[in-house]
Amino acid sequence: MRLVAAETLKLRRRRGLMIWSLLLTVGSVAVTGLILIILHAVNGAHHGPAGGRTNLEAYAFLLSQLGAVTAIIVGSAAGTQDVSNGVFRDLVVTGRPRSTLFDVRNPGALLVFLPILVLGVALALALTFGLAGENPSPSASYVWHTLVYIGSFTVVNLIVAIGLAAFASSRVVVGVLIAWNSIVAHLLMQIHALGGARKLIDVAAAEHFSPAINGNNKVAMSGLTATLVLLGWVAAAALAGRWWTSRRDA
Amino acid sequence: MDTVIETKALTKRFGARAAVDGVDLLVPAGVAFGFLGPNGAGKTTMIRTLLGLTQASSGEVSLLGLAQPAKRREALARVGAIVEEPKFHPHLTGRENLVVVAAARDRAADGRIDDSLARVGLTDRANDRVKTYSLGMRQRLGIARCLLADPALLILDEPMNGLDPAGILEMRHLIRAFVGEGRTIFLSSHLLDEVEKTCDQVAIVDHGRVILQGAVGEIASSGEPTLVIEVDDAAAARRLLDAQAGVTAVESEGSELRVKLSADLDAATVNRALVQAGIAVSRLEPTRATLEETFLAVTSRLGEDE
Repeated sequence: MRLVAAETLKLRRRRGLMIWSLLLTVGSVAVTGLILIILHAVNGAHHGPAGGRTNLEAYAFLLSQLGAVTAIIVGSAAGTQDVSNGVFRDLVVTGRPRSTLFDVRNPGALLVFLPILVLGVALALALTFGLAGENPSPSASYVWHTLVYIGSFTVVNLIVAIGLAAFASSRVVVGVLIAWNSIVAHLLMQIHALGGARKLIDVAAAEHFSPAINGNNKVAMSGLTATLVLLGWVAAAALAGRWWTSRRDA
Repeated sequence: MDTVIETKALTKRFGARAAVDGVDLLVPAGVAFGFLGPNGAGKTTMIRTLLGLTQASSGEVSLLGLAQPAKRREALARVGAIVEEPKFHPHLTGRENLVVVAAARDRAADGRIDDSLARVGLTDRANDRVKTYSLGMRQRLGIARCLLADPALLILDEPMNGLDPAGILEMRHLIRAFVGEGRTIFLSSHLLDEVEKTCDQVAIVDHGRVILQGAVGEIASSGEPTLVIEVDDAAAARRLLDAQAGVTAVESEGSELRVKLSADLDAATVNRALVQAGIAVSRLEPTRATLEETFLAVTSRLGEDE
């Protein structure tokens, strides 16, 4: 637990990282909500209330996409900061197994990232239900599936970023993963010739849980398959990061 | 425990090049041990290999009497080390940096943070971010980080690097104080003067091999005895000494001669010979070779420079 607390300390004290994480998650939802509130106040005939199910889709889209960007940035910092700051060797000479030094990065980063994400989700739900007005409110099931989608997509990206950043020993992983999530994965998902192989794409597996994405735009797979694919990505990245952390010269 | 570091035929290769080449090293407990060599001699690689930061290619290592890497964790629990320059998370304070490393050590390390900071005189700056620290302060914080282990063995890689004269003096006093507490200091350096002033024992290393090791005084005086002589006629004295049996070398500078003697010739005999030849001797001083002279004599770098 002391090592996990040390990991969170290292991340929490990075002011720039924390500010950008809050802006991308809580900030993006707040700004979008504020714009919708103003539009509704100025022209209520053309712009509905800022809440309701339709607007939850918008908030969920922001939280999943920008939340994933935040997760990637936080994960890359967690995966590389000991090495990039030259402190890794000082941790190794304490005699702690290197695998332990890697393993604690996952809970440490989660403890920093999840409260920020929860804050963004709480704001989104407050706007959704508090300002629903005449818009229909989402059902409990819809909300649950939205939360699962946001949670799975962002947390998988966080852990993948930690593992790949430790494996590559570089924060270039930030750009690679953002490009993968926003462009490459979607292009591959559109290539129908790939058939069932598209199920192996993490973005496709995460989108399986999204209630807002039309079924025709999803790669068809079961919930179990989607879960296994996401777990596979997490395991592969974590193993790669752990292996290289244990093997590299310090 | 009599020996805190013992290596047998320790070798670390990078491709075909041996950075550490079959080193047999014995570091006794309770001393400041200098690991002396020119830049690139393999000192840092040796330290990294001792600490398991990089894997040895072959050979055996024992730290605090515990075979490595089998009992690595037990041994390193009582070892503090600064390898190359001390590095920290710049966005954290000095205290927070110690908290991070203490978390990787046993729980008692948490309770040593304040004492360690006080010991190196950083209590007042403990809550400032490390990026505002000078190099000297970072060196001291590095020592404080080592003290979290309550170390029986401190391994310091070039601890005087970048320090001003006051900082060097302070570091020297700190090291001697640690030795006074019964800790062993393994100090690598290319600064001959510092090793001579700080250490009790020394190993001279070059091209990855230990060339000499022993007490500083013994190694420094292990060369040929030398006389510094001042005479009224240096040219005549030089001619006389060049022909004198037992004189191995004569160097002259103005009226001063530096005369190297073999073991069977003493200063009195040389003096008698000069006086009998009518040469007035105003100074005749046996000198001890400095560690620097011994170092230059035994390292191959001397040959390269010439």
